Amino acid sequence: MADQSLPPNSGEFQDPLKNYDPKAYDDRLEKALVEETVAAIQHRPVATITPDTSVRDAIDELADLNVACLLIEEEGRLVGVFSDRDVLDRAALEYDEVKTRPVSELMTTDPVFVYESDSSAAALSVMAVSGFRHVPVTDVQRKVIGIISPQRVTTFLRKYILA
Amino acid sequence: MGLYENIRTERVSSLALRDPAVVSEDATVRDAVEQMRQKKLGCAIVVNANREPVGMFAESELTRLLSETPGVIEKSIRSHMKKDWPMVRITDPIAFVLDALETRNVRFLIVVDEQGQLAGLTGQKGLMEYVADHFPGQVIVQRIGGSPFPADREGA
Repeated sequence: MADQSLPPNSGEFQDPLKNYDPKAYDDRLEKALVEETVAAIQHRPVATITPDTSVRDAIDELADLNVACLLIEEEGRLVGVFSDRDVLDRAALEYDEVKTRPVSELMTTDPVFVYESDSSAAALSVMAVSGFRHVPVTDVQRKVIGIISPQRVTTFLRKYILA
Repeated sequence: MGLYENIRTERVSSLALRDPAVVSEDATVRDAVEQMRQKKLGCAIVVNANREPVGMFAESELTRLLSETPGVIEKSIRSHMKKDWPMVRITDPIAFVLDALETRNVRFLIVVDEQGQLAGLTGQKGLMEYVADHFPGQVIVQRIGGSPFPADREGA
């Protein structure tokens, strides 16, 4: 018996997606989480330093730029993050001993990151499920192109919740 | 009911509130840092003898202080806490949390009970967890970390 879903022998084209109904969403935010990508969340500017930067200079950079997280790049690739939390956990009480050491000794290595083309839900998942507050955005070569902070995600959520 | 309606009707008490790091007014910055480390939180709430919040000390302030005054760790928390920190009541709608986070540009919010006493801590993470719980089919199923494609070709 012939497969009725195949185009007839006449050669007439039949669009296989003709009867496809895109998923309908009841909630604007749910739709945005699925259909908007990470690119829709503000992820620039981003501050980067190298692994050999001293802990003191890294802390000064955080304070001077008034940011909560620096991304560590080596040879154009993301290798770590150094945030307010690293300062709190590893440098605050030990400042005199660690201030001249390279930030690579205190940074968080192998950070969880997302691609610009990932869904916005992926960025939210890293924060809400995995518990990381700052999510680097990279290209496929792991070169840094941005960072998503909790503040930026909150702004994104607010836009769709209150729209 | 959609999220828009829920955040207007559900109360702050339905968020996953954190057990906050708490120090008294006569504590030092070191005391606050030790509490924050122990609780794995980015802030400590300063309370008076009636357990009413009188200030907040956040990790962003710690970074700024270390940069400007490295010896600050032994100083009194009273001189370095932020006094006008936003608070929400446990009976307020969740929409108040969203508004306060955005308009006051803070990561944490102090939660107080009807008597004005400290009841917990919430913030951006609490809000995200609320959204994740609301849309688990979108948020919790995400692939986290790693590469979405193999580094090498599978074969011929």
